[in-house]
Amino acid sequence: MTARGAPFPPLDRTRPPAPQPLPRVILPPVQKGELSSGLRIRLVEQHRNPQVVLGIVLQSGASMDPRGKSGTASLTAELLDAGTGARDALEISESVEFIGASLSFRTGADATFGTLLTLSRHLERGIELFADVLANPSFPVREFDRLKSQRLTSLVEQKDRAASVASDAFMRVIYGEEHPYGKDPSGTEESVGGLTRDDICGFYTDHYAAADATLIVVGDTRMAEILPVLERTLGHWKGGPVRTPPALPPPPATPAGVYLIDRPGAPQSEIRIGSPALARNTPDYFPATVMNRVLGGQFSSRINMNLREKRGLTYGARSSFIFLKQPGPFFVSGGFTGARTGEAAEQLLLEIGAMHRDGVTDEELEFSRKGLAGGFALSFETPYQVAGALQTIVLYGLPDDYYERYIQNLASVTSADVMRVARSTLDPHAMAVLVVADANATRGGLESLGRGGAVMLDATGSPM
Amino acid sequence: MPGLRPVTYEQYALANGLTVMLHRDATSPVAAVMVMYHAGSRNETPGRTGLAHLFEHLMFKGSEHVPDGEHFRLLQEIGASVNGSTSEDRTNYYEVVPSNYLELALWLESDRMGFLPGAVDQAKLDNQRDVVKNERRQNYDNVPYGTAHETIAREVYGPGHPYSWPVIGSMEDLSAASLEDVRTFFRTYYAPNNACIVVAGDFDRNQAADWIGRYFDPLPRGSSLPHSALSPAPLPEDRHIVSEESVQLPRLFLTWPGPPRGTRDDALLDVLTTILSSGKNSRLYRPLVFEKKIAQGVTAYAEGKEIAGTVTIDATAKPDRGLGEIDLCVHEVIERLFADGVTDTEIEAAFNGKEAQLAGRLTTALGIAGGLATNFTLTGDAENFNREIARFQGITPDELLAAGGRVFSSHHVTLNVVPRGKSSLASPPTPPKMSYTGTPAKDTSAGRP
Repeated sequence: MTARGAPFPPLDRTRPPAPQPLPRVILPPVQKGELSSGLRIRLVEQHRNPQVVLGIVLQSGASMDPRGKSGTASLTAELLDAGTGARDALEISESVEFIGASLSFRTGADATFGTLLTLSRHLERGIELFADVLANPSFPVREFDRLKSQRLTSLVEQKDRAASVASDAFMRVIYGEEHPYGKDPSGTEESVGGLTRDDICGFYTDHYAAADATLIVVGDTRMAEILPVLERTLGHWKGGPVRTPPALPPPPATPAGVYLIDRPGAPQSEIRIGSPALARNTPDYFPATVMNRVLGGQFSSRINMNLREKRGLTYGARSSFIFLKQPGPFFVSGGFTGARTGEAAEQLLLEIGAMHRDGVTDEELEFSRKGLAGGFALSFETPYQVAGALQTIVLYGLPDDYYERYIQNLASVTSADVMRVARSTLDPHAMAVLVVADANATRGGLESLGRGGAVMLDATGSPM
Repeated sequence: MPGLRPVTYEQYALANGLTVMLHRDATSPVAAVMVMYHAGSRNETPGRTGLAHLFEHLMFKGSEHVPDGEHFRLLQEIGASVNGSTSEDRTNYYEVVPSNYLELALWLESDRMGFLPGAVDQAKLDNQRDVVKNERRQNYDNVPYGTAHETIAREVYGPGHPYSWPVIGSMEDLSAASLEDVRTFFRTYYAPNNACIVVAGDFDRNQAADWIGRYFDPLPRGSSLPHSALSPAPLPEDRHIVSEESVQLPRLFLTWPGPPRGTRDDALLDVLTTILSSGKNSRLYRPLVFEKKIAQGVTAYAEGKEIAGTVTIDATAKPDRGLGEIDLCVHEVIERLFADGVTDTEIEAAFNGKEAQLAGRLTTALGIAGGLATNFTLTGDAENFNREIARFQGITPDELLAAGGRVFSSHHVTLNVVPRGKSSLASPPTPPKMSYTGTPAKDTSAGRP
C-alpha cells in the first residue's frame, strides 16, 4: 500500500488489467422441513440484514383458469387479502402497513406466488397475517365486486400501453385462442365481466392445496425459530385435494405472417417476432441460454449492437426465451423509430436468420459462457435473489443440486449444441411478426418484408 | 435504532480532489463500483436541455484507451451488471463485478474520467442522439401520461429555473447539441474534484486503495465549481391546465412547491404523503378508491431534490368519472387532516415502512455504494446515509401538520390529463376552497376519518 499523498507508481493504461483469482461462489445450504399438513418448507439463512422474505409457490397458475373464465386464478389471488374470518380488508391492510411489511400475491401462467417481505423483528406478526389470508380467505361479496370492477378498469387502462398491448397480442397470435399461454393471466373484459364470487371460491377450493405447495423462507431467521410459528399458524391448513393439472394442448404451428395493431400518431413502433419454443425442463436449456446471450440477451448482443449502437433505431432491443412448464415463447422485442419500422423488422429477421443458419463463433461461445458464469456469481446476494432461485427449482421440479452443477452444465455447451438449438427454434419463416404502430405510416415498410400484407388486429389481438 | 446496523466505511481524498469511499463486506463475492459526478440537468442551459443525459450515453462509447464497444463487452464477458443514470442534480455510473475483476472496473472508470474527449466524435454523437430520442419516445412520448411530469415541472418551477426542463431534454435541443457542447460539458463538470468513487463489497482494502491511487491520482484537477444555493419554486399563483391526450382514463395531478431533500421537512412530507396514500386504509385511498370508488388509484409523494422540491398527489378516475369530484375529495381530505390531526399509530406505521425501505437498500453492495455516493454528493457528507433513519425519528403530530401546512397552504399546479374530446371531464379552473390556515390542530387524539 502506498501511503496517502505519496506518488503512486505508474501503470499501463493501454490494456485491460488481468483478473485476480476467481472468487469462490459459496451456495447457501438449503434446510428442509415439513408441516403436519404436508406443506414443504425450504429455508436459507442470511443474517447480513434484519429482513426475511417468505414466499409460497402454489401450483395454481392462469393455465388452470376454467374455459371461458380467464382471469379467475389471478383474481382469486388478489382477493386473498381482501378479508378473512377474523379480519376485514382494511384491518389486514392496516396491520401489514403497521409493521412496514409488504404482502402480495401474483399469478403467472404456471403458478401463483405469495410473498411477504418483513423486518425480522416483525416476522411472527407477518407470518400470522400471511397465514390468515392464505388459509382463511372469506372472499366477501363487496370486495369481490370492488376488485372485479378495478380489474375491468385496469384492462381498459392496459390498452394505452403500447408495449403491453404488443406482448399480450403476440402471445395470443402465436399460441392461438385455445392454448392457455395465449391468454393474458389478467383475463379479458368479457371473461372477467362474467366471473362470479362462486368462480373464485371454487378455484380456491380446487387449486390451493398444502401438499402441493412449497414455502420458501430466506433471511434473518432459523429453522428452530420459524418452524413452530409456521406450525401454529399454518399447520392446520390442508386446502383442497391435490389434483394432477390437466395436460395442456401442444402449441399450434405459428401462423407466420405480419400482424399490425394500429396506434394512430404513435412516434415509436413496438415489434415482437417469434414463436413457441422450449419448456423449462428441456435438455437444451443451457445451449439455448448461451445462444440467446449472443443473439439478444445482453447489451453487447448482435441485435442490440446492430439496431441500437449501429443504426440508432431504438433505446434497446433484445431477444428472450421464456421457459415455462410447457414450451414457452422465443421472441425478439423493442420499441423502434416509427418512420423506420420496416428497416427495424427486416434487421431483426436478418439477425434471427443468421443465427438459425450459422450459429455462433467459438469466440462468441466463450464470451457467452463466461458471462453467464460471472453473472451466476452475482446472483445470490439478496434474500429475494435466493428465494427466486429456490422458486425456480420448486416450480419446475429441477434437481436439488441444480445450482451446484450450473457452472459445469454451462461449460459443457458446445457450438454444435448451439447450432442444433438454433436450427430447431429459430426458423424466421416459422415466426410471427407483430407490430403496434401507426398503421398508415408503417404498412408500406412492413409489406417490403415479403411476408404478404399485414393482418390488422384490434388492441386485444383479435382479427378485425 | 434497533435492527439497522450503520454502514462502516473509510473516506479520504486524493490530491486531485477525488473523494474515495471504501466499504468492505465479504458476504458475497461481489464488488460494486460507483462513480458519481455532481452534474445533472440543472447544470444545462436553456436551448441545450438533455445534454447531461446525452453526455452520460457517450461515457459508454469508449475513451482513449478503451475502443468503442469495449466498455460493455469487457464487463459483460464477466457477467457484470452495468449502468448509469442522470438526474437533475447528479450523474452516476456503476458496475457490479465478480470481486476478482475489481481492477478492471477501476481501469474503465478512470479512463473515462480522464480520457474521454479524444474518443468522442460526430458519428458517436449522432448515433447516441438517435438512441436518446428513442429513449424519449419509449419512456415519455409513447406511454400514457408520459409527459405529465414535464408539464408540471415547467409550470411549478417557471421559466429559467433549472428544474423547469426535463432530464431527457426536448427533441429540438437534442438535435442542436454539438460536439463542442459535449466537450465543454466534460471540461466543466467531469473533473475528479467534482466526483466521488465508492467501492463496496468483497475486496482487499490495501489492494483497492493502491489501484485507486494508481488509476485516478494522475488525473488533473478541474476548476472549482460554485456551491448551488437553494432555489424553491416561486409559484406566484394557482395554475390550472387541461391536456387532451391518447388515454382511456382521466388523471389528475396536484403539485405544490415542497422542501428540498435531506431536510427534516422533507422527511415530514415523506411521512405525511405515506399517511395520505399508502395502504387501503390511508386518508386518500380509502375514500377515493375503497369507499366512493370514483378513482382507480391514488398516490401522494414528496420529491425533495438538491435545491428545491415538490409534493404531488395524483389520482386516476374510473371510466367516465370526472376529475372535479376527485379534486374536491382530495381537498376535503387535506382539510380534515388539519381539522382532526394525525394519530401516533399513523406516524409509527409510516416510520416502520421507512425503516423497512432503508433496510432494503442495505441488502446489496450496490445499494450501499449508491447511498454513500448520493449523500456525499448532494449533502456534502456521506455520513448522512447513516443518519437517514434519524430524520424520521421522534416525529410529533404537531410537527407533521406544521410542515404539511407550509406546503398545502401555498399555491399549486393542477394538471388534468383527459381523453381526446373529453375536456368536460376536467376539474373546474378554480380549485376548491380550503378553510385551513396551515396552523396545526391542537387536539391530535381525534379519530380517523
